[in-house]
Amino acid sequence: MSELRPEPGSDAAREREAAGEDRGRLRSFWRDPRTVLARKELRSLADEKTIVLALLIQLFVAAFSSFLVVGLVSMYQPGGVGGVSVDAGVSGDAADELLATLDGQSGVDAREYESPDAAADAFRRGTVDATFLASHTEENRIEVTVTVPDENVRTTVTVVQIRDALRAFERDQRASRVEYLGTEPLVLPEAPSSSPYYGFSYTVLVPLLLLLPAFIGGSITVDSLSEEIDRGTMELLRVSPLSPVGIVDGKLLASVLLAPAQAGLWMALLSVNGTPVANLPALLALTTAFALAVSALGAAVALLSPDRRAAQFLYSTGVLGLFGAAALLPGSPPNTIARLAVNSASDVTYGVVASYVALAVGAYLAVRALVARRGAAALG
Amino acid sequence: MSGDAADPDQRENRRVRDPRRRLRKIARIARWEVEYSVGTLDRRTVLLGLLAVVVALGAGGATAATGGVALDEDLYRVAVDEESPYHEPVAAAPSLNPVEPGSAWDVRVVDTNHADRTAEFRARDSGKGAAALAALRGAVRSENDRLMRAEPNESAAFPVAVTLEYEGRATAPAGGTTDGGGTTEPTETATASGGGAGEEATATATPATDDSDRGFAIPNVGDALFPDPASGSPADIQPPFPFASLILAFAFLVPLNFVAQAYGSTVLDERIGRRGELLLVAPVEPGDVVAGKTLPYLLASVALSVVVALAVGGGEAGVVSVLAVLPLAVLYLAGTFVGGMFARSFKELTFVTVTLSVFLTAYAFVPAIFANVTPVALISPLTVVVRDLQGVGVTPAQFAFSTGPPLLAGGTLFLLGLGVYREEDMFTQRAVPLKLLDALDARLTGARSAATLSALAIPFVFVAELLVVALLFALPVSVSVPLLLVAIAAIEEVAKSAHLYAGFRTGTFARTKRVTLLVGALSGLGFFAGEKLTAVVQVVGLPELTLGRAAFSATGTGLDGLAGGPLGLLVLFMAPLLLHAVTATVSAAGAARGRTAYLLALAAATLLHAGYNLTVVSAVV
Repeated sequence: MSELRPEPGSDAAREREAAGEDRGRLRSFWRDPRTVLARKELRSLADEKTIVLALLIQLFVAAFSSFLVVGLVSMYQPGGVGGVSVDAGVSGDAADELLATLDGQSGVDAREYESPDAAADAFRRGTVDATFLASHTEENRIEVTVTVPDENVRTTVTVVQIRDALRAFERDQRASRVEYLGTEPLVLPEAPSSSPYYGFSYTVLVPLLLLLPAFIGGSITVDSLSEEIDRGTMELLRVSPLSPVGIVDGKLLASVLLAPAQAGLWMALLSVNGTPVANLPALLALTTAFALAVSALGAAVALLSPDRRAAQFLYSTGVLGLFGAAALLPGSPPNTIARLAVNSASDVTYGVVASYVALAVGAYLAVRALVARRGAAALG
Repeated sequence: MSGDAADPDQRENRRVRDPRRRLRKIARIARWEVEYSVGTLDRRTVLLGLLAVVVALGAGGATAATGGVALDEDLYRVAVDEESPYHEPVAAAPSLNPVEPGSAWDVRVVDTNHADRTAEFRARDSGKGAAALAALRGAVRSENDRLMRAEPNESAAFPVAVTLEYEGRATAPAGGTTDGGGTTEPTETATASGGGAGEEATATATPATDDSDRGFAIPNVGDALFPDPASGSPADIQPPFPFASLILAFAFLVPLNFVAQAYGSTVLDERIGRRGELLLVAPVEPGDVVAGKTLPYLLASVALSVVVALAVGGGEAGVVSVLAVLPLAVLYLAGTFVGGMFARSFKELTFVTVTLSVFLTAYAFVPAIFANVTPVALISPLTVVVRDLQGVGVTPAQFAFSTGPPLLAGGTLFLLGLGVYREEDMFTQRAVPLKLLDALDARLTGARSAATLSALAIPFVFVAELLVVALLFALPVSVSVPLLLVAIAAIEEVAKSAHLYAGFRTGTFARTKRVTLLVGALSGLGFFAGEKLTAVVQVVGLPELTLGRAAFSATGTGLDGLAGGPLGLLVLFMAPLLLHAVTATVSAAGAARGRTAYLLALAAATLLHAGYNLTVVSAVV
């Protein structure tokens, strides 16, 4: 057999050694007490079906926010969702000019009445949903008095459609008076048939689905540390071969592993649903960074204030506050995520991502230092 | 109804007959709860807490002051010459990022002649390109408005002056509101703030970009960029939307979450390390213990609501708002109590409370969005708050309709949780479904309770169905209507049979044919009676609501799954009763044979029910 063994120092031997080393490293990582602790955390999440609940919550939030937007947009952008047109009765001495514009508008279906009274009568009978009384004024303007029903869901839709039609009327009237203007108005691009939900998917939905797992991870960290302290099981962990820093490491590892996994799942779902997400590696790095930062904050809070009530309150207000403060800055987390996902990222955006990662590592090192400094006393 | 198996004499001794003594005991437990909670706070926690609150409030205040966050900052890249007149609007619009013509773009402005005020626009053939072009159109329109405002010749710049009037019509179509019917509202020019009922215009939302062309922006209230509303231009027309009131109403919900979180910890604390045992063996009813422990949190919720009312209302939000928030607080606490009784660990409790928060926020907030739109919005107590903030007010019947279901649901949940407030459930780690069955079983005394529990489930069914409607709303109609009918049928069948299953499992109900038929029929009857009770309340107290509901069902949102009531009340009065009894009996027959049989029977009952709904809906609509 000895002749089959490669010469020591040969390439093959080195390769085999390296492979063995890799395997050994992997095995030692798998058997590392910190990893074991993280695995235990994840197992307990799976046993209690907590993670299923977490996923359901996120799904619900996402579906719900989509529903809200669909509902709102259909109410306030009737044109965007194949809305119906408003039946309008037009009267007055400037009715012809107004009708010339309204005929080209899809949102308003206008017909002329000989007198304001006739139009008002049709309005009361419900034949028309709105009346326009258009009249020329002394100072060469056209005054339009619009009456809409003070009623129900249709009113809002009606008002929006009327506004868009009247804007077109304003443009036409401006164009006819253009020689009296110092600066000509710019010509508008044609109205594209764009989906009104496009921007929403990237500016709200994607950030929501990437940030929620991070916040949930932080919450898990707070709970799992304060629970160990409260139930007295921290004592058992402390006689294990784990240092206090190692215990915190293990707890953080669990939530930091979980966040990008969930985020990846959501992004895959979105891509299947026709919302392609660009820059996935950068987005997952961002989620991991936020999960690390937020979990580090959670760990610090749980160690400084072992009572769960206080700890959870501190954690939630702290995260809300920090996130709110971050949202005010240029390069806020949701905006950074949106620009990456929609593929409008510039070099600055990647710089922002790098600084978030650095910030998260800093937070993690700070917590480590806190635990190391206080030693065993840190763990209740 | 104490759950222990003590002999009757002893139970008699434990029960305190004198209500005053009971109240004193509850007050004492409440005092202990407060003292204990304050005792857990050390100086460091208080300082950290203050810091966190200051940071959060500061961020919130700054967000409000700066008019929010532009989430879509530089979302689209527009290639445009520096010298082109189109560069200005692109640079001014937050969502547009002007880039050099050579670099990657979503829309390109080809402006060969900078003097002719026009250009060629090329958008990428993608969703992003179209969205970018829509944003560009809005930006150019805003730029034109800005240019025209600088014009000396006003009649040429703003040739059209619009006045918008809201007029009630005597013959209001279905869904007409109660207020302002037939009266003419005072005239409002388009330049006044929003056309809603006295809506305050606050400068928020998104300056510079035009909302109607921005995909999802909530209609803005007041234009932050052009606070000079002298023109009466069509651009200034504001659709009636209670945006500001909604935001303020939402402020009432936020503190409830924190109170509920703390309360959940307290409930679970009792169960860790058998801490609650002392109170259990003390001569106090479990109900009094829970009442005592809940009282401080309920009072805290009320106090916080009052603070919010004073803070946001500025004298506008009054007693009505606080009263309307109270049932929500009860529901929050009740749900948290049940969660705390069922959860096995802090982690699980966190998720239970988060789930609750999400569901309750949805239930409270979403209908309130349509506060000015349809009476159905009154399903949520927050609608009452919104209307109160707007100075519209509600009738007592409407108030009762809004606040009744959450109060009932909260009370029922407390009853359910009390069922497991006993040693064998509190200090064991049982799976949540088993605990739920225990809790249901604790409420079963005889066959009659099968009917009572079914009736008590109505508010939950109501809420669950609303949420299903909300979730399926986004799907295309061809898919969502059948799904909706099946989902509604499933919710109702579970509500009618879960307690029966619990009863059969623990032997409260004998597994005989006679008992099966009896409890099944009774459960169906109870559910039907509860359903009809709600329908009657609406027919008597809220005629406009049945109209609203009919409108709802006609648009395919399927609230008709709740009741055949509004839809041909007389014709279909008996059919639902028969249906509920039959399907409940089918489930009961399965429940008597075991879990698998129960699930199969439940599926069969659901299909039967859905089939019935489908025929009714297609017959009516």
